[in-house]
Amino acid sequence: MWTWFYKLASPPHVYSVAGAFAPWFLGLAALTLGFGVIDGLAFAPPDYQQGDAFRIIYVHAPAAWMSTFIYTTMAVAGAIGLIWRIKMGHAVAAACAPVGASFTVLALATGSLWGKPMWGTYWAWDPRLTSELILLFLYVGVLSLRSAFEDAARGDRAAALLAIVGVVNVPIIHYSVVWWNSLHQGATVAKLGKPSIDTAMLWPLLSMLLGSMLFFGAVLCFRLQGEVLNRERQASWVRQALKS
Amino acid sequence: MNGGGFWAMGGYARYVWPCFALAAVVFAWNLMSARRYHAAARLRARRALIMEAAEGDEHRS
Repeated sequence: MWTWFYKLASPPHVYSVAGAFAPWFLGLAALTLGFGVIDGLAFAPPDYQQGDAFRIIYVHAPAAWMSTFIYTTMAVAGAIGLIWRIKMGHAVAAACAPVGASFTVLALATGSLWGKPMWGTYWAWDPRLTSELILLFLYVGVLSLRSAFEDAARGDRAAALLAIVGVVNVPIIHYSVVWWNSLHQGATVAKLGKPSIDTAMLWPLLSMLLGSMLFFGAVLCFRLQGEVLNRERQASWVRQALKS
Repeated sequence: MNGGGFWAMGGYARYVWPCFALAAVVFAWNLMSARRYHAAARLRARRALIMEAAEGDEHRS
Protein backbone atom coordinates (compact mmCIF):
# COMPACT_ATOMS: atom_id res chain seq x y z
CA MET A 1 0.00 0.00 0.00
CA TRP A 2 2.85 2.36 0.87
CA THR A 3 4.87 1.49 -2.24
CA TRP A 4 3.74 4.64 -4.06
CA PHE A 5 4.77 6.74 -1.06
CA TYR A 6 8.24 5.21 -0.94
CA LYS A 7 8.56 5.71 -4.70
CA LEU A 8 7.85 9.41 -4.19
CA ALA A 9 10.96 9.55 -2.02
CA SER A 10 13.14 8.05 -4.76
CA PRO A 11 15.01 10.77 -6.74
CA PRO A 12 15.33 8.77 -10.01
CA HIS A 13 11.62 7.95 -9.89
CA VAL A 14 10.69 11.58 -9.22
CA TYR A 15 13.02 12.74 -12.03
CA SER A 16 11.55 10.39 -14.62
CA VAL A 17 7.91 10.97 -13.57
CA ALA A 18 8.41 14.76 -13.69
CA GLY A 19 9.94 14.47 -17.15
CA ALA A 20 7.04 12.35 -18.39
CA PHE A 21 4.28 14.56 -16.96
CA ALA A 22 5.67 18.02 -17.81
CA PRO A 23 4.77 18.11 -21.57
CA TRP A 24 1.25 16.80 -20.86
CA PHE A 25 0.65 19.39 -18.17
CA LEU A 26 1.99 22.12 -20.45
CA GLY A 27 -0.14 21.08 -23.44
CA LEU A 28 -3.34 20.83 -21.40
CA ALA A 29 -2.54 24.15 -19.68
CA ALA A 30 -2.18 25.86 -23.08
CA LEU A 31 -5.60 24.52 -24.16
CA THR A 32 -7.49 25.43 -20.97
CA LEU A 33 -5.82 28.81 -20.57
CA GLY A 34 -6.46 29.60 -24.24
CA PHE A 35 -10.14 28.73 -23.86
CA GLY A 36 -10.40 30.73 -20.62
CA VAL A 37 -8.81 33.86 -22.08
CA ILE A 38 -10.88 33.84 -25.28
CA ASP A 39 -14.15 33.00 -23.53
CA GLY A 40 -13.50 35.43 -20.67
CA LEU A 41 -12.49 38.37 -22.85
CA ALA A 42 -14.76 37.95 -25.86
CA PHE A 43 -17.85 35.94 -24.89
CA ALA A 44 -18.59 36.36 -21.17
CA PRO A 45 -21.15 39.16 -20.65
CA PRO A 46 -20.07 42.34 -18.85
CA ASP A 47 -20.96 42.65 -15.16
CA TYR A 48 -24.06 44.74 -14.44
CA GLN A 49 -22.15 46.90 -11.92
CA GLN A 50 -18.48 46.67 -12.87
CA GLY A 51 -18.90 46.52 -16.64
CA ASP A 52 -15.91 45.08 -18.54
CA ALA A 53 -13.54 45.80 -15.64
CA PHE A 54 -14.82 42.59 -14.04
CA ARG A 55 -12.82 40.63 -16.70
CA ILE A 56 -9.74 41.23 -14.54
CA ILE A 57 -11.16 38.40 -12.39
CA TYR A 58 -9.92 35.92 -15.04
CA VAL A 59 -6.31 36.64 -14.15
CA HIS A 60 -6.65 38.01 -10.62
CA ALA A 61 -8.69 35.21 -8.97
CA PRO A 62 -6.64 32.28 -10.40
CA ALA A 63 -3.40 34.08 -9.44
CA ALA A 64 -4.68 34.64 -5.88
CA TRP A 65 -5.88 31.03 -5.59
CA MET A 66 -2.57 29.74 -6.89
CA SER A 67 -0.60 31.92 -4.45
CA THR A 68 -2.23 30.21 -1.44
CA PHE A 69 -2.41 26.75 -3.05
CA ILE A 70 1.31 26.79 -3.90
CA TYR A 71 2.18 28.07 -0.43
CA THR A 72 0.22 25.22 1.17
CA THR A 73 1.90 22.70 -1.17
CA MET A 74 5.29 24.16 -0.23
CA ALA A 75 4.52 23.93 3.51
CA VAL A 76 3.26 20.32 3.24
CA ALA A 77 6.33 19.33 1.16
CA GLY A 78 8.60 21.10 3.67
CA ALA A 79 6.89 19.26 6.55
CA ILE A 80 7.39 15.91 4.78
CA GLY A 81 11.07 16.78 4.33
CA LEU A 82 11.40 17.89 7.94
CA ILE A 83 9.45 15.11 9.67
CA TRP A 84 10.34 12.07 7.55
CA ARG A 85 13.70 13.44 6.37
CA ILE A 86 12.69 12.85 2.77
CA LYS A 87 14.99 14.89 0.52
CA MET A 88 12.41 15.06 -2.26
CA GLY A 89 10.08 16.94 0.12
CA HIS A 90 12.64 19.74 0.36
CA ALA A 91 13.19 19.60 -3.41
CA VAL A 92 9.45 20.09 -4.06
CA ALA A 93 9.32 22.93 -1.52
CA ALA A 94 12.32 24.62 -3.18
CA ALA A 95 10.71 24.24 -6.62
CA CYS A 96 7.42 25.75 -5.38
CA ALA A 97 8.80 28.94 -3.82
CA PRO A 98 9.68 31.10 -6.87
CA VAL A 99 6.52 30.07 -8.74
CA GLY A 100 4.31 30.89 -5.76
CA ALA A 101 6.04 34.24 -5.24
CA SER A 102 5.45 35.19 -8.88
CA PHE A 103 1.73 34.31 -8.66
CA THR A 104 1.47 36.40 -5.46
CA VAL A 105 3.02 39.39 -7.24
CA LEU A 106 0.54 38.86 -10.09
CA ALA A 107 -2.41 38.68 -7.66
CA LEU A 108 -1.33 41.87 -5.89
CA ALA A 109 -0.63 43.79 -9.12
CA THR A 110 -3.87 42.80 -10.87
CA GLY A 111 -5.84 43.40 -7.68
CA SER A 112 -4.33 46.86 -7.52
CA LEU A 113 -5.28 47.53 -11.16
CA TRP A 114 -8.82 46.33 -10.41
CA GLY A 115 -9.00 48.41 -7.22
CA LYS A 116 -8.37 51.74 -8.93
CA PRO A 117 -11.56 51.87 -11.06
CA MET A 118 -13.73 50.08 -8.45
CA TRP A 119 -12.52 51.50 -5.12
CA GLY A 120 -10.84 54.67 -6.39
CA THR A 121 -7.41 53.61 -5.11
CA TYR A 122 -4.62 51.26 -6.15
CA TRP A 123 -3.95 50.18 -2.57
CA ALA A 124 -5.75 50.14 0.78
CA TRP A 125 -4.58 48.56 4.04
CA ASP A 126 -7.50 46.19 3.84
CA PRO A 127 -7.30 42.78 5.65
CA ARG A 128 -7.36 40.75 2.39
CA LEU A 129 -4.75 42.92 0.67
CA THR A 130 -2.53 43.12 3.75
CA SER A 131 -2.62 39.35 4.40
CA GLU A 132 -1.78 38.70 0.72
CA LEU A 133 1.15 41.11 1.02
CA ILE A 134 2.31 39.19 4.12
CA LEU A 135 2.17 36.04 1.96
CA LEU A 136 4.58 37.67 -0.49
CA PHE A 137 6.94 38.54 2.39
CA LEU A 138 6.74 34.92 3.55
CA TYR A 139 7.69 33.69 0.08
CA VAL A 140 10.61 36.15 -0.02
CA GLY A 141 11.63 34.97 3.46
CA VAL A 142 11.55 31.30 2.44
CA LEU A 143 13.57 32.01 -0.73
CA SER A 144 16.14 34.11 1.15
CA LEU A 145 16.46 31.68 4.05
CA ARG A 146 17.14 28.72 1.76
CA SER A 147 19.98 30.53 0.03
CA ALA A 148 21.37 32.11 3.23
CA PHE A 149 23.07 28.93 4.46
CA GLU A 150 26.25 27.44 3.01
CA ASP A 151 25.04 24.02 4.10
CA ALA A 152 22.09 23.29 1.78
CA ALA A 153 20.49 20.84 4.25
CA ARG A 154 20.35 23.52 6.98
CA GLY A 155 18.88 25.99 4.48
CA ASP A 156 16.22 23.42 3.56
CA ARG A 157 15.28 22.84 7.20
CA ALA A 158 15.13 26.56 8.03
CA ALA A 159 13.02 27.33 4.94
CA ALA A 160 10.67 24.43 5.72
CA LEU A 161 10.21 25.67 9.28
CA LEU A 162 9.33 29.19 8.11
CA ALA A 163 6.94 27.77 5.46
CA ILE A 164 5.16 25.67 8.10
CA VAL A 165 4.86 28.57 10.55
CA GLY A 166 3.66 30.89 7.77
CA VAL A 167 0.90 28.54 6.63
CA VAL A 168 -1.25 30.02 9.40
CA ASN A 169 -1.59 33.03 7.06
CA VAL A 170 -3.47 30.96 4.44
CA PRO A 171 -6.79 30.64 6.35
CA ILE A 172 -6.36 34.28 7.43
CA ILE A 173 -6.27 35.32 3.75
CA HIS A 174 -9.31 33.17 2.95
CA TYR A 175 -11.48 34.27 5.87
CA SER A 176 -10.25 37.89 6.09
CA VAL A 177 -13.33 39.05 4.15
CA VAL A 178 -15.58 37.27 6.67
CA TRP A 179 -13.78 38.09 9.93
CA TRP A 180 -13.19 41.82 9.30
CA ASN A 181 -14.86 44.67 7.47
CA SER A 182 -13.27 44.58 4.04
CA LEU A 183 -13.38 46.57 0.82
CA HIS A 184 -12.70 43.29 -0.95
CA GLN A 185 -15.70 41.31 -2.17
CA GLY A 186 -16.62 38.05 -0.44
CA ALA A 187 -16.38 34.52 -1.87
CA THR A 188 -17.79 34.24 -5.38
CA VAL A 189 -17.17 30.63 -6.35
CA ALA A 190 -15.87 28.74 -3.29
CA LYS A 191 -18.87 28.99 -1.01
CA LEU A 192 -21.48 26.55 0.17
CA GLY A 193 -24.53 26.42 -2.03
CA LYS A 194 -24.75 28.16 -5.39
CA PRO A 195 -21.84 30.34 -6.56
CA SER A 196 -22.89 34.02 -6.85
CA ILE A 197 -21.65 34.26 -10.44
CA ASP A 198 -23.51 33.53 -13.67
CA THR A 199 -22.45 30.31 -15.43
CA ALA A 200 -21.49 32.28 -18.57
CA MET A 201 -18.92 34.08 -16.42
CA LEU A 202 -18.08 31.03 -14.29
CA TRP A 203 -16.88 28.65 -17.05
CA PRO A 204 -13.98 30.83 -18.23
CA LEU A 205 -13.02 31.40 -14.59
CA LEU A 206 -12.94 27.66 -13.84
CA SER A 207 -11.03 27.10 -17.07
CA MET A 208 -8.43 29.71 -16.08
CA LEU A 209 -8.11 28.13 -12.64
CA LEU A 210 -7.64 24.64 -14.09
CA GLY A 211 -5.19 26.01 -16.66
CA SER A 212 -3.18 27.75 -13.93
CA MET A 213 -3.05 24.52 -11.90
CA LEU A 214 -1.85 22.55 -14.94
CA PHE A 215 0.68 25.27 -15.76
CA PHE A 216 1.97 25.11 -12.19
CA GLY A 217 2.22 21.33 -12.59
CA ALA A 218 4.38 21.75 -15.71
CA VAL A 219 6.63 24.41 -14.19
CA LEU A 220 6.96 22.38 -10.98
CA CYS A 221 8.07 19.34 -13.02
CA PHE A 222 10.76 21.33 -14.86
CA ARG A 223 12.02 22.97 -11.65
CA LEU A 224 11.87 19.70 -9.74
CA GLN A 225 14.03 17.99 -12.36
CA GLY A 226 16.59 20.78 -11.90
CA GLU A 227 16.42 20.49 -8.10
CA VAL A 228 16.88 16.71 -8.23
CA LEU A 229 19.91 17.02 -10.53
CA ASN A 230 21.47 19.69 -8.31
CA ARG A 231 21.00 17.57 -5.21
CA GLU A 232 21.95 14.18 -6.73
CA ARG A 233 24.82 15.26 -8.97
CA GLN A 234 27.18 12.63 -7.52
CA ALA A 235 24.67 9.76 -7.63
CA SER A 236 25.29 6.87 -10.02
CA TRP A 237 21.79 7.05 -11.52
CA VAL A 238 22.45 10.68 -12.62
CA ARG A 239 25.62 9.54 -14.41
CA GLN A 240 23.70 6.79 -16.13
CA ALA A 241 20.90 9.18 -17.10
CA LEU A 242 23.33 11.75 -18.50
CA LYS A 243 25.38 9.19 -20.39
CA SER A 244 22.32 7.70 -22.09
CA MET B 1 -19.09 43.13 -28.92
CA ASN B 2 -17.65 44.85 -32.05
CA GLY B 3 -13.90 45.22 -32.72
CA GLY B 4 -13.53 48.75 -31.32
CA GLY B 5 -15.71 47.99 -28.32
CA PHE B 6 -13.67 44.89 -27.61
CA TRP B 7 -10.39 46.80 -27.40
CA ALA B 8 -12.00 49.65 -25.43
CA MET B 9 -13.31 47.21 -22.78
CA GLY B 10 -16.17 49.55 -21.92
CA GLY B 11 -13.74 52.34 -21.00
CA TYR B 12 -11.65 50.09 -18.72
CA ALA B 13 -9.00 49.16 -21.32
CA ARG B 14 -6.16 50.79 -19.37
CA TYR B 15 -6.88 48.49 -16.43
CA VAL B 16 -7.95 45.26 -18.17
CA TRP B 17 -5.22 44.92 -20.82
CA PRO B 18 -2.24 45.58 -18.51
CA CYS B 19 -3.57 42.81 -16.22
CA PHE B 20 -3.62 40.28 -19.06
CA ALA B 21 -0.24 41.50 -20.35
CA LEU B 22 1.25 41.14 -16.88
CA ALA B 23 -0.20 37.65 -16.57
CA ALA B 24 1.39 36.71 -19.93
CA VAL B 25 4.75 38.03 -18.71
CA VAL B 26 4.51 36.10 -15.41
CA PHE B 27 3.55 32.85 -17.19
CA ALA B 28 6.32 33.27 -19.78
CA TRP B 29 8.90 34.09 -17.09
CA ASN B 30 7.91 31.07 -15.05
CA LEU B 31 8.19 28.72 -17.99
CA MET B 32 11.49 30.12 -19.27
CA SER B 33 13.17 30.30 -15.86
CA ALA B 34 12.05 26.75 -14.97
CA ARG B 35 13.40 25.32 -18.25
CA ARG B 36 16.60 27.32 -17.88
CA TYR B 37 17.00 26.08 -14.29
CA HIS B 38 16.69 22.47 -15.45
CA ALA B 39 19.09 23.03 -18.35
CA ALA B 40 21.67 24.68 -16.06
CA ALA B 41 21.43 21.78 -13.59
CA ARG B 42 21.98 19.28 -16.42
CA LEU B 43 25.00 21.24 -17.61
CA ARG B 44 26.49 21.36 -14.09
CA ALA B 45 25.98 17.62 -13.65
CA ARG B 46 27.58 16.92 -17.05
CA ARG B 47 30.58 19.12 -16.20
CA ALA B 48 31.01 17.31 -12.88
CA LEU B 49 30.95 14.02 -14.77
CA ILE B 50 33.58 15.20 -17.30
CA MET B 51 35.83 16.59 -14.53
CA GLU B 52 35.59 13.31 -12.65
CA ALA B 53 36.45 11.32 -15.76
CA ALA B 54 39.45 13.59 -16.45
CA GLU B 55 40.66 13.18 -12.84
CA GLY B 56 40.30 9.41 -13.16
CA ASP B 57 42.43 9.43 -16.35
CA GLU B 58 45.10 11.48 -14.56
CA HIS B 59 45.30 8.99 -11.70
CA ARG B 60 45.60 6.07 -14.10
CA SER B 61 48.39 7.64 -16.21
